[in-house]
Amino acid sequence: MTYVITEACIQAAMCTAVCPVDCIYDAGDHFIINPEECIDCGLCNPECPVDAIYPDYQLPEEMEHYKTKAAEFDYSGMEPAF
Amino acid sequence: MAELKQKRTLEEVKALSREEAVEVIRHAGVIGAGGGGFPTYIKYKDPQPHLIVNATESEPGYQADKLMHKEYLDEFLQLYEAMIAIFGFEQVSMCVHEKDREWFSDYAEHAGDLYDMRYVPNTYASGEENMLIRHATDTEVPWRVETPDGNRRPGMPLDVGIIVNNSETLLNVYRALFLGRPTTTKFLQVYGEEMDIKVYEVPLGASVAEVLRFAEIDVENSGHLSCLDGGPYLHDMGIEELGETGDAYVRGTTNALMLIQKGTTAYKEYTDIKTDPPKEGIVSLVGLLPKGVNLPLGGRYLKPATPLLSEGDEVAYEQKIGEPVDEGFSIGVWASVGGTVTSIEDNIIAIAGGAVPMEEAEAEAETEAKRHQ
Repeated sequence: MTYVITEACIQAAMCTAVCPVDCIYDAGDHFIINPEECIDCGLCNPECPVDAIYPDYQLPEEMEHYKTKAAEFDYSGMEPAF
Repeated sequence: MAELKQKRTLEEVKALSREEAVEVIRHAGVIGAGGGGFPTYIKYKDPQPHLIVNATESEPGYQADKLMHKEYLDEFLQLYEAMIAIFGFEQVSMCVHEKDREWFSDYAEHAGDLYDMRYVPNTYASGEENMLIRHATDTEVPWRVETPDGNRRPGMPLDVGIIVNNSETLLNVYRALFLGRPTTTKFLQVYGEEMDIKVYEVPLGASVAEVLRFAEIDVENSGHLSCLDGGPYLHDMGIEELGETGDAYVRGTTNALMLIQKGTTAYKEYTDIKTDPPKEGIVSLVGLLPKGVNLPLGGRYLKPATPLLSEGDEVAYEQKIGEPVDEGFSIGVWASVGGTVTSIEDNIIAIAGGAVPMEEAEAEAETEAKRHQ
């Protein structure tokens, strides 16, 4: 279980401001949540101004690739987005 | 209309109407004690079929909710019966971490027609209600719901007919409905570096430094420590550097005072912290902290209550000091100590003093002793 950021992300950084474990990174064209670090607290979800964040179990099928990308993304050496 | 300051038998509580009970809870100043701080009375305004009691500790190392359930078993059972009668719940469920099955065996024994037990994975999702519902039921809170004005908002437990309340919140509801007592305390743990965990019931608005001193922390000579208001995952900074950078105050959402090495990142260094329930159980600091309190009239979700007194007034323990306003969400505010009002500024009432009159403290101790016999 994790939360997933999808294509609507505009990098407003309201999610990063509330994430208690700094598990949100900048993947270039959108932010991305490291599922290994996410604790499922859900604080980011209602903060998003463009409704881009889903719990993975409610992720629309056409957005599944964002979950895959987040799982396979190489976070090594990266600092969390702020 | 039903009054707050009135003791009621179980039958009398069960005879309250929904509207009467909601008013008592509102005036008693009950808010979500798990950390959300949402005014509790709002959740009970409309009928919902399912009440979930969140008895999972929300952060690693917490023990307070477990101790509370152990010490107040009879009160919780009476409350469940009353809540079903007043609010018409079809189902009451207690949610407990898998790891705490044995601790809650007394509740499992009593489970049946009145309530059921739901065991959920040992995760610390900071008390997140939607996740708890997913683990404990076959229902999911919707991701977003349409609002009448055509917009949408994040889904809430109420959207699927569920009210989730934290254990302490419900104990405060019990105290309001059965004992006629307002919410003037916060249950919290003091734990972390260089100490064994202690669980206290603390007057709202008490000085954090004073609570730490009571826990035998050498505050003035512990500049290498910071004190968090919360646990390793979810917290605010309480005191950045003990003994140097001022003080903080116990809030209605302060679940822990956690000591960490200054400059460390709590969620990286302290999430594997292990504690055992303290043998002495919950220790009440009511009447034992003479430094006074700072009590907010409003809060994150709350319109400030109207102060009922002025600077220089004498105030008694559990005296009403703030009357809820009619606009927005607003709750009653009550003195958590007796003393003198020294200031009312920025919607915070400061009361100097703190020792409860001795006869009241003794009467309370006697009642507590009887309860444990």
